[in-house]
Amino acid sequence: MDKKLQISKSFKNSMIFLIVIGVVAVAVGFWTGAETRTWANLLLNNFMFLSITLGGLFWMALQSITQSGWSSAFVRVPQALVTYLMVGAVLWIPLFFGMPHLFHWAQSGAVLHDAVLAHKSPYLNVPFLIIRTVVFFVLWIYLAQRIRKLSLREDKAGGLDAFNKIEFNSKVFIFVLGISFIFVGIDWLMSLDAHWFSTLFAVKFFISAFYHGSAVIVGAVIILNRLGYFPFLNEGHLHDFSKYIFMLSIMWGYMWFVQYLLIWYGNVPEETVYFHIRREEGFQAFFLAEIFINWLFPFLFLMWNRMAKNANVLLITVAVLIVGQYIEIYNAVMAETVHKVVFGYLEIGTFVGFAGLFILIWVVSLSKHPLVAKNHPYLMESFTLEDFEEEY
Amino acid sequence: MYNIKARGVLIEGNKGYHDITRDITNPLLSKTTPSWWWVAAFIATSMLIWGVWGFYNTIAVGTGTWGLNNSVSWGWAIINFVWWIGIGHAGTAFSIFLLVLHQKWRTSINRAAEAMTIFAVMAAGMFPLIHMGRIWDGFYVFPYPNTRGPLWVNFNSPLFWDVTAISTYLTASFLFWYVGMMPDFASIRERTVSKIKKKIYGILSFGWLGSARGWLRFETAALLMGGLTAPLVVSVHSIVAMDFAAGIVPGWHSTIFPPFFVVGAIFSGFAMVLTMMIIVRKVYKYEEYVTQRHLDAIARVLTFVSLIMGVAYISEIFISWYSDSPYEMYVFFKNRAIGDYAFEFWAMITCNAIIPQLFWFKKIRTNITMVFIISIFINIGMWFERFVIVVTSLSKTWLPSTWHAYTPTVTEVAIYVGTLGFFVLGILLFLRFLPMMAVSELKGVLKETSLITENTNNHE
Repeated sequence: MDKKLQISKSFKNSMIFLIVIGVVAVAVGFWTGAETRTWANLLLNNFMFLSITLGGLFWMALQSITQSGWSSAFVRVPQALVTYLMVGAVLWIPLFFGMPHLFHWAQSGAVLHDAVLAHKSPYLNVPFLIIRTVVFFVLWIYLAQRIRKLSLREDKAGGLDAFNKIEFNSKVFIFVLGISFIFVGIDWLMSLDAHWFSTLFAVKFFISAFYHGSAVIVGAVIILNRLGYFPFLNEGHLHDFSKYIFMLSIMWGYMWFVQYLLIWYGNVPEETVYFHIRREEGFQAFFLAEIFINWLFPFLFLMWNRMAKNANVLLITVAVLIVGQYIEIYNAVMAETVHKVVFGYLEIGTFVGFAGLFILIWVVSLSKHPLVAKNHPYLMESFTLEDFEEEY
Repeated sequence: MYNIKARGVLIEGNKGYHDITRDITNPLLSKTTPSWWWVAAFIATSMLIWGVWGFYNTIAVGTGTWGLNNSVSWGWAIINFVWWIGIGHAGTAFSIFLLVLHQKWRTSINRAAEAMTIFAVMAAGMFPLIHMGRIWDGFYVFPYPNTRGPLWVNFNSPLFWDVTAISTYLTASFLFWYVGMMPDFASIRERTVSKIKKKIYGILSFGWLGSARGWLRFETAALLMGGLTAPLVVSVHSIVAMDFAAGIVPGWHSTIFPPFFVVGAIFSGFAMVLTMMIIVRKVYKYEEYVTQRHLDAIARVLTFVSLIMGVAYISEIFISWYSDSPYEMYVFFKNRAIGDYAFEFWAMITCNAIIPQLFWFKKIRTNITMVFIISIFINIGMWFERFVIVVTSLSKTWLPSTWHAYTPTVTEVAIYVGTLGFFVLGILLFLRFLPMMAVSELKGVLKETSLITENTNNHE
């Protein structure tokens, strides 16, 4: 019960090696003068891993407010993500300096010749953007950290006190995240083309964060189980996990389709320009890959009940979805900043570096405390979960 | 395993299996109809009759009896249509979405919620039908090779998608609801002493035997139909949203509309379930089945959904400013916020996004009167939302010389009141003649969610 995650030295070293690759790639990127491209890569990966982190934390909060019992043995996994959230906040700071390379509206003088940007400048200006980003990070970290602390206190104290407080804090966290992440999506992705707008855009990226964050947690739980932790993991849990992925794949596909359909149907040039770029100028393959990988693949792959309960199948799905999320954010970022399809050492290196850092921080944080919250009141529901075809 | 200590007892009153059968089927078996039922049925029928007058007036004279004009060509009829469709989402939301989330408390409520779906969708279906003006040509909406040219429907129009989605949804919901009731029909057949009732419920139950094989197929069928209905419920309101969003009218052309409408529908559906269940548990004395905890759970869901509504409002208002489109900005900041329909706009924001946030307080969630009042506010708020969307945008479009205000006429009000009467009457008949809770599902959760032990010897 009090089992902690053991990490080997070689694992740590290989993760550090990955981080070094990332640092070198970014350094070479700046050194060779590919500044915009490097900044774009930093934004892409920062956003991607922030999405996964917040999506995972959202998943955790959701378990709490829906009073889900089946997942209660795994809450420590997303809880440990809060440490990466702090690191992610630090990694975000350099982006403030790269803004003129990424955002047309952040360049000095851009506002003077552009009436639309002038109109938006009360909102789209560098100081205000920095302030709100910082405020959001502080709120997220405070609330997520508080939930984690309460859960650790529950290990010692037991009782329902911490449990009830976690539920309340989860509500507040969801409330804050629901509003703030919309603006993060608008600020850091939609405003790359400051003239374009769509009300669904940021909501879709919220769903995407939830979707891919949940998927990463599923992957982590299965890998930990392979390493000998979570011995009670059974088909019931796997089935519930894959229900989440399946349901979210439909939801994500729905968001994507609705946005595309309505813009296509309306056929207003100011709106269609977004998809025009992504369908004409070499992005066609990425455009199609985004929808096929993120929606169609999990939808078909996990449809058959037997497949859905198979750990290997789920691991493959999670791996594919990570690629899917990369492509999704790649489409949003690269088409507006680099304006052409680029994929080379810089993209791979930056991603590898971020992935190494993310895994290292997460795993180290996870190893600090017992893997199972032993006094969680619903724990027995999770241990004894049976895989009913029908719930009652 | 269900942790009673942390979760509390789901069905109160130390009930055994037989108690459940008795409690749920006795009101159906009794010969006397309670007097409150007659009073309610009388009021509902009077409303319905007034609605029939409105209906007749519209068909005999034409849609000229409505307050519509060239600018505002959609009025109360469409508002009420969308409102009813929204309420019609409750059943499936209860049956499917809560199933996936392992919410066992749904068992006391899902049957009634499904019944609500059926009657609400039927009420909704009347509006497009009479809106055509020539109701006798109503079958034109169905695409089939015909002798009119052949004249086909416009497959590119969201209005046609609506016809498809809603008729499919009604059929699927009805089947799901009906199949779920079959075992309960059989219980009533076995328990009744009246020969006629035995015959009728026997036919309705399709000769249900309660064999293991029967149950197995029943559960598979329920699961399959549930799985197929879940996307349907999303599709219906998405397409209703596209009726608006596919056009380029300012205030309508917004990509967030479909998910926003679906969430709004679930919001109003849950609110209507809450309104109804609070009344039903009172008059039928079902406080032990629909407990404080059940109402608390619905209130929590409403708080969450209200947050999503709030985020959607914020997104829409913010993006309208962000877009720098003078038309969008006019719609939100002039026409809606301070224009002729400012009251409706602010009522919508208050009722949907602000008042439900009172549910954060446990004191309010546990106060049944307050919960009831707030649920009514949500029902009203969701009606205003449809009013704001339909009327404000149409009354002031691109050409100022076509700007025109809109007020409903008595005929329109009558039709709306009539559908309310139809809905209430439908629910009353359902309560009187059909099992209002899924007996088998209640029994299914009883053992692990109550304090009952094996030696209580009241197994049926």
